[in-house]
This record gives sequence, structure tokens and C-alpha cells, in this order.
Amino acid sequence: MSGRTVGLRAGAPLLLILPSMVLAVIIIGYPFFDIIWISLHSVSRFGIVRGFVGFANFAHVFADPVFLQAVLRTLEWTIAVVGGTVLVSVPTALILVQDFHGRGIARTIVMLPWSISLSMAAIVWLWSFNGDYGMVNAILQQIGVIGHPIQWMARASTAFPIEIAVGILVSVPFTVTIFLGGLSSIPTEIYEAARIDGASRVQQFRWMTLPMLRPFINIAIVLNVIYVFNSFPIIWIMTQGGPDNSTHILVTYLYQLAFRLGRPGPAAAVSLAMLVIVFAITMVYVRMQREEAA
Amino acid sequence: MQGRSARKSAWCWLALSPLIVIIIFPFLVMLSTALKPNSEVLQFPPHWLPQHIDWGNFAAMWKAANFGSALANSLIISMGATILALAVAVPAAYALSRLPFAGKGLYRQFLLVTQMLSPILLVLGLFRMAAAVPFAGGTLVNTRLVVIVIYGAFNIAFAVWMLSSYFASIPRDLEEAAWIDGCTRPHAVMRIFLPMAVPAIAVTAIVTFVNGWNEFTVALTMLRSPSKQTITLQVVNLVAGRYSVEWNQVMAAALVATVPVAILFAWLQRYLVKGLTVGAIK
Repeated sequence: MSGRTVGLRAGAPLLLILPSMVLAVIIIGYPFFDIIWISLHSVSRFGIVRGFVGFANFAHVFADPVFLQAVLRTLEWTIAVVGGTVLVSVPTALILVQDFHGRGIARTIVMLPWSISLSMAAIVWLWSFNGDYGMVNAILQQIGVIGHPIQWMARASTAFPIEIAVGILVSVPFTVTIFLGGLSSIPTEIYEAARIDGASRVQQFRWMTLPMLRPFINIAIVLNVIYVFNSFPIIWIMTQGGPDNSTHILVTYLYQLAFRLGRPGPAAAVSLAMLVIVFAITMVYVRMQREEAA
Repeated sequence: MQGRSARKSAWCWLALSPLIVIIIFPFLVMLSTALKPNSEVLQFPPHWLPQHIDWGNFAAMWKAANFGSALANSLIISMGATILALAVAVPAAYALSRLPFAGKGLYRQFLLVTQMLSPILLVLGLFRMAAAVPFAGGTLVNTRLVVIVIYGAFNIAFAVWMLSSYFASIPRDLEEAAWIDGCTRPHAVMRIFLPMAVPAIAVTAIVTFVNGWNEFTVALTMLRSPSKQTITLQVVNLVAGRYSVEWNQVMAAALVATVPVAILFAWLQRYLVKGLTVGAIK
């Protein structure tokens, strides 16, 4: 087939991807460089750039005890939510890949939290854990787990684990989806062969399913680490980082600095530090995909 | 495998039951509270079934949350973002799945990086950008337009991924046959390729729409006046920073904001499993 009849000029592919590049470069590129600029300057709460201050904004942030606690809590939040999500999602996917009555309904139910915005999930759980009239207190009291109603959101020691649990719940559908894709790629014949060879179900899981699921688990971990690390609405809506700054993670700390306390300079410094971390994780992901392809 | 015996089915459902209870629980709480009068909401212990069903909560929240205009705003913003994202993603996905070109790998990596950046990390820069652009006598802050453009941009990577993995599965033969019949390539794309790509485009459009519908951070930052705010933001505002929260109204609003999207998603779910796994892994 000659190029002329196909009517394709050499630059056509680039022309086709150009609009998407332009939009992404403007909307993502401009703010990115602006944040770098701001992080090195003194900026008033109304956004007026006053002068170059070097790394003063960074020094200011790194000396703030709230920031240091938020770093540790972000680590805790990310590890707990991602770990919990994988621990829940692997068995769930293993069940959902079985052939059983009502599987379609079960899959639909498990996917439901995906459709709800994080904000709505946060609000409904906030109400469910309400210390005075909440349904959770009522149920726990009824079955005798607690003697009197608990003010769950008044202390970080109860509020933060609840936020982690909500984080896990909303991350499960996406993760199960990845695992279902992985499990469906395992040929069923190898299980037949293993059964003939006398492998038990536990052995089959340990030596066949798990190794073949491994790359999908790795990808799910990396993608979830990035999403959870950046997850803002759950904590912002349920506790706003409070009480007394005791549930801040980096994103809520950043938002509070930028839009509640009016400190754009330090907020930009936090943004930049987080961007560096996300880039690093992305590189891990890229490398994993490359190994996958090799 | 052994197929579906009644015993196996029972075990599967039993094993899933803790998760399913936790997933269904918030929906039941929403429904139960949304139908209660105030006196029953402020009562401990609460009952699941309201003694008197109070439909008035829906009317009350409609007013309190400015729901009519919030609904319109959510629709305008989500649809605008969907159209924008598709307008730039469909050509790009076609190029990725059909045409060889230098820099393809680079473009994929570029998309990956944009996918990893969530708006919250850039929110300060996004706000300053909006504040720097003069628009209709003010700036882009507090306009639906800027929210549409930002949502559009942040959905490109997902849309291109999803579309190109579907496009790759559409057979080339028909298009090539059309070329032989003297059809130009753009014509073949319009007449043959696009009609076959409609399901893929529809699925991607719905996901992009739902993303916009559910988004919180950018809306919170940009949309200052209540007349411009989306449903998600309005419902949050019924709770955030208030001393007394009318929970029955909040739950009524949350229910109305959530259920249509949940139904849409439940129907869409099987297409998603296919498209996402192909897109995320390959």
C-alpha cells in the first residue's frame, strides 16, 4: 500500500498527540515551576512575591514539629492503608475468581466503594462514628463490646485508625480489579496438572498462584502508595488534621499552610518535597514495568 | 475447576460477608438517617428503621445545599471536563494504538508522570495560575471554566491509556479495506473506526465524568461562591466547620449525590475490569 492512498503525512502522529501534550504541559507544567519559584521566595499571604530567600522556607518547614510529626504519620498512613488494602484484596480476588452462585452480584458489591467519592465516604463514616448518636456506638454497645459511647473523633488514637480503615475500604475495589486481571491470566491447566501431581490447595496457592500474582501485587502496591500518599479528602473531612494537629499527614498539612494559615512559601516547600518523593516512587514503577516486559 | 456447587457458593459468600457488610453499612446508614425526623436522629441508641418516615429532609437539604444549582454546576463541570479530555485523548490514543512514531515511549512516560501527580500536590500553583489569568472582569478563580480545564488535564493520562488499549483490540482489516476502496485515512477513521470505538469512548467518558462529579480538592480551592459550587462540595459544606449538623439532611443529600453514580458504576464495572487491567499492566 502506498503512503499516498493512506493519506498520512509524516507529522500526523505528532499532530494527534499535540493537543494532549499542550493541555497537560500548561496545566501541570506551569504550577510545577511556579511552586519551585515560590518555594525559594518570601511570599505574602495574598501571593505577592517579596524577594529571594534561598532555602529559608524549607528550613522553616523542617524545623516545624508539626511537619515532622506529619512526615511520620504519612509513613504510618501509607504503610497501613496500602498494606491493609493488599491483605484484604488478595483473598477477596481469590474468592471472586472462583465460579460460584451470584458471583456477578458479589463482584458488583465489592466494586461499589469505587463509585463513591472519598468525600461522601468520609462524611457517612464520620456520622456513623458520631460519639453521641452514631450507629457504630449503638451496635458495639448492643453486642457488649463497649460499656458506654465513645467519642471516636475526639482523639487521634481512635480517629486516625478509623481514617486508615476508611482509606483501606475505598482502595480495595481498584486493587481487587488489578488482581482479578492477574488471576485471569493464569492458565487453568496448570492447576489440573498440579492436582494430578497431588498438590494440596495450600501448596497450589504458595507455589503457583502467589508467584504468578507477584508482579500484579507489586504494581498494586506502587500505584496505591502513590494514591494513598496523595489522599486528601478523608482526613481533611473527618478531622481536618485535628484535634490539635494530631492527625495531619503531609497533604493536609500542606493545604492548611497554603489556604488556612496563608503561608504560600513554606507550603510550596512541602509541595516540592512531596513531588520529589512521588517522582522517586514513579521511577520505581517504571523500572518494575520494564523488568516485567523483559 | 469443579464448577458451582451449592456448598462452595455458600463458603464463598460466607468468606466475603465481613467485607460485604462493611461495604453495605454506609449505604444503610445514609438511607436510614435520610428518612428520619430530627427528633429520631438525636436519639441514642438510634434505630435502623425510622418510626416516622420524614421525606421532608430531601426538600430541606435541597434548599440548604443549594442543590438545584449545585446539580447544574456538577453536570456542567463534569461534562465539560469529559468533552475536553476526550477531545484531546481520542486522537492521541489513535496515534498510540495505530501509528508508528518516534518518541512513542517518551510520550507514554510523560503520560505516566502526569498520572502520578495528583492535583493536591500542585494545588498551590494551580490556584496561583488561576489567580494570574484575567477573565470576565476578575480572574479564573471562582469560575467553573478553570475547574473544567484542570479536570480535563488530569484525566488525559487515564483516558489515553484506557482508549488506546481498547483501540488496539479493534481489528484493522475494515479500515484497510476502506483504503483500498479509495477512502482517505481520515475518512476511514470517521466512517469505520470511530463507530466501532463508540463503546470504548463511552466507558472512558463515564469514568471521566464520575471523576469530575466526585472530585473535592480542586473544587474546594477554586469555587468560592455557593452559586458555583458542585454537589460534592455543597454536601461537605453542610458538615465542615459547623457546630450543629443536620445529619438527616446531610445523609439525604449524600444519598442523592451518590446513588445515581453508584448505579452507573455498577453497570459499567465489567468493562472497567477489562480496560483497566489491560491499561494498567501493559
